[in-house]
Amino acid sequence: MSWQMPKLIPRSAPMILLVLTLAAATGFAAVSHLVSRYTANQQARGRKLYALGLESAKASHYDDAIAAFRAALTCDPTNSQYQLSLARALRDSNVPRRLDEAESYLIALWQRTPQDAAVNLALARVAAHRGSIEDATRYYHNAMYGVWSSDLDANRNKARIELIQFLLKQGARAQADSELIALAAALPPDPAAHLQTAQLFQQALDYPGALAQYEEALHLDPGNSTALAGAGETAYHSGNYSSAQRYLRSAVNANPADAESRQLLASTDLVLLANPFHSHISDAERNRRINAAFSQAENRLTACAQQAGIDLTKTDLTNNNLKNTAPASALPGLQARWQLAKPDLNLLRSPAETDLPDSIMDVVFQIEEQTAATCGQPQGLDLALLLISQKREAAGQ
Amino acid sequence: MSNPAPLVDPSAPSSTPAARVKTSRRLFSTLEGVFHEEVFFLILSVFIGIFSGLAVVCFRLTIDWMHLALLGPLPQTHSWRLFAVPSLAGLVVAALVMRVFPGIRGSGVNQTKSALYIFNGFIPFRTAVGKFICAGIAIGSGQSLGPEDPSLQIGASIASALGRQLEISREKLRLMAPVGAAAGLAAAFNAPISAVLFVIEEVIGRWSAGILGSVVLSAVASVVVVRSFLGSEPLFRIPVTTFKRPTELIAYAVLGIAGGLASVAFAKSIGYFRPLLKALPRWTQYFQPAIAGLLVGLIGFLGFPQVMGAGYDSMDQAMHGQYAWKVLALLAVLKILATTVSFVSGTPGGMFAPTLFIGAMLGGAVGDIERFYFPHLTGSTGTYVLVGMGVLFAGFLRVPMTSVFMVLEVSGNYEIIVPVIVANTFSYLISRSLQSIPIFDLLTRQDGLILPSLEEEREETILRVEDAMLPVPATILSAQDYVDANFRRVQNSADSTFLVRMHPSGWNTATRDQLQRLFREGKGELTLASVLSSQSLPSLYPDLPLDSALRYVNDYPLIPVVNRADSRHLEGIVSRDSVFEKYGSRRAIEVTHLDPL
Repeated sequence: MSWQMPKLIPRSAPMILLVLTLAAATGFAAVSHLVSRYTANQQARGRKLYALGLESAKASHYDDAIAAFRAALTCDPTNSQYQLSLARALRDSNVPRRLDEAESYLIALWQRTPQDAAVNLALARVAAHRGSIEDATRYYHNAMYGVWSSDLDANRNKARIELIQFLLKQGARAQADSELIALAAALPPDPAAHLQTAQLFQQALDYPGALAQYEEALHLDPGNSTALAGAGETAYHSGNYSSAQRYLRSAVNANPADAESRQLLASTDLVLLANPFHSHISDAERNRRINAAFSQAENRLTACAQQAGIDLTKTDLTNNNLKNTAPASALPGLQARWQLAKPDLNLLRSPAETDLPDSIMDVVFQIEEQTAATCGQPQGLDLALLLISQKREAAGQ
Repeated sequence: MSNPAPLVDPSAPSSTPAARVKTSRRLFSTLEGVFHEEVFFLILSVFIGIFSGLAVVCFRLTIDWMHLALLGPLPQTHSWRLFAVPSLAGLVVAALVMRVFPGIRGSGVNQTKSALYIFNGFIPFRTAVGKFICAGIAIGSGQSLGPEDPSLQIGASIASALGRQLEISREKLRLMAPVGAAAGLAAAFNAPISAVLFVIEEVIGRWSAGILGSVVLSAVASVVVVRSFLGSEPLFRIPVTTFKRPTELIAYAVLGIAGGLASVAFAKSIGYFRPLLKALPRWTQYFQPAIAGLLVGLIGFLGFPQVMGAGYDSMDQAMHGQYAWKVLALLAVLKILATTVSFVSGTPGGMFAPTLFIGAMLGGAVGDIERFYFPHLTGSTGTYVLVGMGVLFAGFLRVPMTSVFMVLEVSGNYEIIVPVIVANTFSYLISRSLQSIPIFDLLTRQDGLILPSLEEEREETILRVEDAMLPVPATILSAQDYVDANFRRVQNSADSTFLVRMHPSGWNTATRDQLQRLFREGKGELTLASVLSSQSLPSLYPDLPLDSALRYVNDYPLIPVVNRADSRHLEGIVSRDSVFEKYGSRRAIEVTHLDPL
């Protein structure tokens, strides 16, 4: 087949350029039209695929979601929303290999819009998946102070709560505590928010902070049984047994089915009843409590020795450093100390013996601590004595 | 060239229509004067770039559209479409190639090179149309081929058609094909530097400063056009690539060795099967692309749809560590199989993208294995994937310069230049030692053509003037001396012709007979300068090609070879005998080394 293209272009150089320019302009216009139609079609197809991906992601079918988001992106490669959703699906699919790709999408988005809170939050979550405290903290902070499309304060607090939960999971309690303080300062007057924050404080073992948040929640919603129970529990753990008794009693009244609070209340009552160092009791009552504690300690020691198969008669009186001795081997020594201290009980009534209650109770506390270490957490009065011991120790420190 | 006239005469009244026409004519005549051929060719290169860019945009849309229409937007495995579509599309493509568009089989690089060296730059415009349609259907339906080489041929074809329309000189028309080829490739690859280098290394096959400007202009123009329509997003999302310790180069060298071996396997399989299939009866060619499509589709059906089509999405995923090393290695092997099958069946389509795919997968696999055994290696999977791409480019296509710049241009990261160079060097050397003929040269030779190549040129030992140079003669006459004095100096010499140093510069010759005759004629008291011809001898420099001496050896018995820094300093001489003797000994060596087959 011999086909010759007809001569379309004149010979004069300026005319050639004119014709070529016109041809190029026409070509541009035609291709622009073609590309815009194609792009519109592709974008429509992309939206359908994106919706499909969202459905799959919602149903936790991440492989399908990833395929749909990828296909959506081939239709509209620069769509930030698609990229973000794909990155999220890659991250949430819990396949470690996919984290790299998720991160690369997110970093590309971040480079375009570093202030975008959603992108920073997604990057923070990737860093959290990797367990990188430094990166996660940086991106969570970027997210908190970034641009949110709506609900600025709520989203900011959510991001901070997520950071705190991540830090607590990583054991970074000091960092979590400082974030908690910042969170507490920015909370809205909402009991639920205060409750959530209080629980985080509790996880961070910051009981005073938690108690303050429970009290704030109770201030906003006085009958809130969760807040009452939480306040009671945190007061109990921080050694504030009077407050604990008050809150726990209210919690049990508000929710009689709350067995945990009921149990804590019983322990609290025992602590308050057994504590010989309570300031508002008479000398006689104090001596009664010391006597009761002393005999309880002996019972506990004997029972624990039997449980652990330890012969209490093999006494080593030379060992005074009980704290550095293995708990089980310390029990015979404690038995000996208990025997030595027993005559002192009769001297309690003497006004000259002001240090005696402390020395007697020191033997009791040592017995409770060592038996707890040897035989496990005690119950009832023994538990109360152990708690009093811990409170005394904390106060001494 | 006519004298330039002012574009607008300020004194001329321009308000009347007649005056305006007059001004326009003057403007046109001025422009005519400005556009001498060289300038015009440069401007034309820009237009070639624009038209090629527009064509490649449409070509890419066609492939995407075909893919969506035939295979659907979502990747599928175990779907009948995966093997039915490429098989049926193969039948259509084969019918078009056999009946309507003969000569569009294969990649298009060789055809463009043939146009430059054999057909005076002539590539039928129908080739562009055929390549556009057939490669669009083939790649869109999932044949394991790429769009880059067809884009190159489409660009070259457009340029050639434009050149013929404009009836430019044969010399320029011959150069149109590579200019268009660079534009087409740059647009397809979104990488102008790599396109320019590839065209120089593979299409032109020799360094030519004369065409470089046009090639660069067309490549840049086409990339600008493509980016204005399709955006400037790179082909891949490049991950963080690092190179920290020089000892890690050993790991990249291992990748280079693996890449070299893979390149040889790939090239040998194509080189072996292509002539076998071409030798089959003509009617089988109607079915070869369909069978190839069926085989490629079966690979996809069995769980590896990544090997279908160009595969850029899969390369992107490999770059971000989405595949385990076993999958990467398997994909590399399957892609070699799939591309071999698609290419040797005569389906129109390119080998650029498959080469990158194989390199990417191989790089990722080797990198992952190395990092498993040597966890201290800092390079990410993405780094090895990128380097792997360059490695296959260097080993399979045998374009070492392009391979390095391609990785740099695609990644935009100069930190990995050293690993890329090291790995590519190993790959290139292994490929050269195990496969003496580069793949494109092999394909042209299978088609019965022998075209020049840069590799050939690199290996060629050029004879230079210094190779044929004789030592400085013992007797050099001075033009300032008298004839009798000079005659006395040459009387007992064995030579018959002597070099004469002219004053203040230049050289001449005199024979003993000539001096004797002058002496007898009583001109002994005259200076030699006064009796010799005033025309000086041409002189040569030692580094010039020996060919340049050929122009003079028949006219002059001796030619001085002088120093470039001081033309009065004689380095030696060449004579007709010395030059011919050198060529003779070279020919004797070449004849001795001729392959008896």
